[in-house]
Amino acid sequence: MAQANGGSASTAAAAPATGASGRQAGASEKSKDVRLNNITAAKAVADAVRTSLGPRGMDKMMQTASGDVLITNDGATILAKMTVEHPAAKMLVQLSQAQDSVAGDGTTSVVVLAGALLQVCTGLLAKGIHPTSISDAFATASRLADDVLKGMSFSVELEDRETLIKAASTSLNSKVVSQYAGLLAPMAVDAVLAVAVPRPPTSSAAEIGVNGVGSTPGTSIDGDLVVDLNNVRTVKKLGGTIDDTCLVDGLLLTQRAATGGSAGVRRVANAKVALLQFCLSPPKTDVENSVVVQDYAAMDRILREERQYILGLCKKIKASGANVLLIQKSILRDAVTELSLHFLAKLKIMVVTDIERGEVEFVCKSLGCLPVASIDQLKADKLGKVDLVEEISLGSDKAVRLSGVTLPAGVPRTVSLLVRGSNNLMLDEAERSLHDALCVVRSLVHRRFLIPGGGAPETQVSVALAKASKAMSGMQAYCVKAYAEALEVVPFTLSENAGLNPIEIVTELRRRHAAGETTAGINVRKGAVTDMAEENVLMPLLVISSALGLATESVRMILKIDDIVMVR
Amino acid sequence: MSSLAISGTRESGQDVRTANVTACVAVANILRSSLGPQGLDKMLVDEVGDVTVTNDGATIVGLLEVEHPAARVLTELAQQQDQEVGDGTTSVVILAAELLKRANDLVAARIHPTNIIAGYRLAMREACKYIRDKMATPVEKLGRELLVNAARTSLSSKILGSAESTHFANVAVDAVLSVKTGGGKDGVPASYPIKSVHVLKCQGRSARESELLPGVAINSGRAAKGMPSRVAPARVACLDVDLRRTKMKMGIQVQIDDASALNAAQEKELDITRDRVKAILASGANVILTTKGIDDAALKYFVEAGAIALRRVPLADVKRVAKATGAVVQGSLADLSGAESLDASQLGTAEEAAERRIRDDTVTVLRGCRSTAACSVLLRGPNEYMCDEMGRSFHDAICVVKRTVESGTVVPGGGAVEAALSVYLDNFATMLGSREQLAIAQFADSLLAIPKTLAVNAALDATDLVARLRAAHYVAQTEEGKAGLAHTGLDLSRGVVRNSSRAGVVEPALSKIKSIQFAAEAAITILRIDDSVDVARKDADPEG
Repeated sequence: MAQANGGSASTAAAAPATGASGRQAGASEKSKDVRLNNITAAKAVADAVRTSLGPRGMDKMMQTASGDVLITNDGATILAKMTVEHPAAKMLVQLSQAQDSVAGDGTTSVVVLAGALLQVCTGLLAKGIHPTSISDAFATASRLADDVLKGMSFSVELEDRETLIKAASTSLNSKVVSQYAGLLAPMAVDAVLAVAVPRPPTSSAAEIGVNGVGSTPGTSIDGDLVVDLNNVRTVKKLGGTIDDTCLVDGLLLTQRAATGGSAGVRRVANAKVALLQFCLSPPKTDVENSVVVQDYAAMDRILREERQYILGLCKKIKASGANVLLIQKSILRDAVTELSLHFLAKLKIMVVTDIERGEVEFVCKSLGCLPVASIDQLKADKLGKVDLVEEISLGSDKAVRLSGVTLPAGVPRTVSLLVRGSNNLMLDEAERSLHDALCVVRSLVHRRFLIPGGGAPETQVSVALAKASKAMSGMQAYCVKAYAEALEVVPFTLSENAGLNPIEIVTELRRRHAAGETTAGINVRKGAVTDMAEENVLMPLLVISSALGLATESVRMILKIDDIVMVR
Repeated sequence: MSSLAISGTRESGQDVRTANVTACVAVANILRSSLGPQGLDKMLVDEVGDVTVTNDGATIVGLLEVEHPAARVLTELAQQQDQEVGDGTTSVVILAAELLKRANDLVAARIHPTNIIAGYRLAMREACKYIRDKMATPVEKLGRELLVNAARTSLSSKILGSAESTHFANVAVDAVLSVKTGGGKDGVPASYPIKSVHVLKCQGRSARESELLPGVAINSGRAAKGMPSRVAPARVACLDVDLRRTKMKMGIQVQIDDASALNAAQEKELDITRDRVKAILASGANVILTTKGIDDAALKYFVEAGAIALRRVPLADVKRVAKATGAVVQGSLADLSGAESLDASQLGTAEEAAERRIRDDTVTVLRGCRSTAACSVLLRGPNEYMCDEMGRSFHDAICVVKRTVESGTVVPGGGAVEAALSVYLDNFATMLGSREQLAIAQFADSLLAIPKTLAVNAALDATDLVARLRAAHYVAQTEEGKAGLAHTGLDLSRGVVRNSSRAGVVEPALSKIKSIQFAAEAAITILRIDDSVDVARKDADPEG
């Protein structure tokens, strides 16, 4: 493991020491140390992200190993950049990434929850309760919690755009870009709904990016539509403000139109787009070979032949009907030369070069065209039909927009989101926030249930579990009660971060939930407990149910570890 | 350190906030003395020994090597102001630092940062609304004189400030107005591309002899002395083509066994180029610009034809000429039959192309171009630093003019807006019964940092002047019929308060709004940080 050869981490150094001396001195003593050690390390991770939870959460400034500055309050990003060393702490980092891939949002909550659960575990362990009992009781509690959550959720229809926007806004409100939530939320909803396609009959949950965590409650898909977020492309361009962010129906290429001299074509209506994977440049000999000219008259001929060759290629392209060319980047040869650009400009064909190899698939999918690897294969059926291709200017930079794509029926559409920002910090953070919002909408498409936010679900589960624990007996009752208490960390932290009095707010919240007001939550703006459904603070059921499930599983796993063995 | 084992250091809570604020205030302190018409200059020496003398905030900030991450955020935001507006960088930094300093004091007084942030945001929104509704005057009312005044206000704080400001302001206004595109009946909004104004800097003579050149100037002379120094009317060919002896490409070897064939091969190389030149001249072009080279042997043909040829002209200049004369830049001479030719339709026109000597340099000026879409400004100055600083000041001035005509509204300068906002926000704060009140009151006080610094830099009694300024604005906002006092600003040369608008001290409203927005944004961004993780550098870690 990473810290095995370094004395940098005091906690890590302690583990092998106890391992060596504890051989004879009773295994239970040692395993308790290891467990506590793990819990302390994992809790430290949770504490690190605690202050960034919620709409009034603070940001973290990170200076990464390369010296770049990053400001974010996205839990997954913070933890990923933090280079945590302790193995148990690493589990929490991975936990937030698991939540990111399942639900895309709630990455901070999941870590905070896990931290709180570990906190109560230390108390339970100190009382001499066996870790396995705690673990089993937590599993029971988690199952019960899931039922409670399902009970308080309500279904939503995809036609109900307003509600979807509310859910996306809730996610965006806790980000750095919260003031732009009104603009970005509808954009996220439109983008996801645009790429939603009917589920292919054979598809299972595992195929749609939830593999590996399929067993987690709440990840099954019950809609008849599927969304592949790979079909939503976010393009970042520096300059302007976030207000200029927009949704492009069709495709946006960051490249500018290539022009020979100043005569190039910059706008084509009723375009037929060809994606070329070959080069429009004179063929090159291999490095060892060379063409030997012995006659001076041949020199002229070489130049003439080159022109004729390129002209021939260009005329064939024209003959195929294509009037917009997208040319893949080439390393070995120039993809285009000034000569070929010059000819294409004369033939009124627009050219965009430097399409990355990785982009080819997406471009083809978006435009409904097929990549062409040789001039002989360039036929009309390989072309994509686009209403308008034009170079647009974005401040000092330029980009090419292809809008109004005609696609064959049944093929998933793609959309591009153009994110603008005044500096790289804002731009990156806007992209991360937008990703979370997209994920929120996606999870609503897959599982059409919403649940109020603002700490309401956590409190409701806590109250319900506390009640259920009274009907149990033994260790289980004790542990489930502790589990219930741990869940209050979310409303507690929310109010703390918002500058409110946490004790006052949490007790009030608990009282209202006990009285049956399931939608009561913390209204950060008013600094009081109000009805979340009225305040439009809504989130997908998937986010909270997977957060609880994942956090519980991680905690159970950390509890069961009783030894750390360093392997060189 | 906490029990969190990370490779690197971590600071959180009040520590990081104080450290961030201190770093930002340090940056502001460097800039502070350069604000305003009486601001002083900085001399910056970089590691190679290059000297820059400037009082342009953006340039200073750009050259400072800021290490602290929070201070870097501040400088990046300040440079953003420079890119978006082109002026007002110094005030952004000073205002942001003041806001941060006061916010940190509030946090120390047990006010939660989120409350301060909410207050600042509210104050910023109110301030911008107030500027837009109450302070801004439409440009159409006042015409060209106003544009000149706006340019003069920007220049007054710069090296061109003293006697020459009117001259330069006029040059700036003429330059910007001449490059106007769009705005006609076709519905395209008018825009003023700053890039089309070409600034030529020439050492020698005094700054006063700087001028707006009618037409496009190119910083190079004709390629051969045999060429005429003036042709009229000019037909301009803009080429991106090599007119040197044609060399075979890589991978093609010319093998010659016979000594006599050697000569023939060399002849051939020249012949190919000759045919190209002939093709160009056949189109009727008599001014030829190319970004690449022209061989001495090829020059002969141009001389014979009585044409001016310029070689190795930067592509940006060629494009500018193409824009002004209506020419099309040619990447190649090939035509669709596979031969080489140049069509007359690709040429641009100008009334005259003539060479001018400026000091030891020659410039070629194209006069009477088809459109005024590009123009050139010649700046003269006694030394390199002066020329560079003049270039920067002039750039700021044309940005200000552009913003003024585009946004269409101006506000009085000389600290008038800040004082008015301060009075207004102070009143606004007392109307709120929440914790944000304190933050808004501090925002109002922070704004006074600008007039205060202006006065201090002018060696005047800041306390006295700012008090009088505030009093005037209080009267303007509360008493009926005294609204005229809302334009009261500082007269820094005489040390009194006066009506800024009447004295011709105006700034584009957009620039003021943006600078308040950027400052507040910067302060909020930095205030939101409560944790700083410095991940250890890979190479610095001895154990990997």
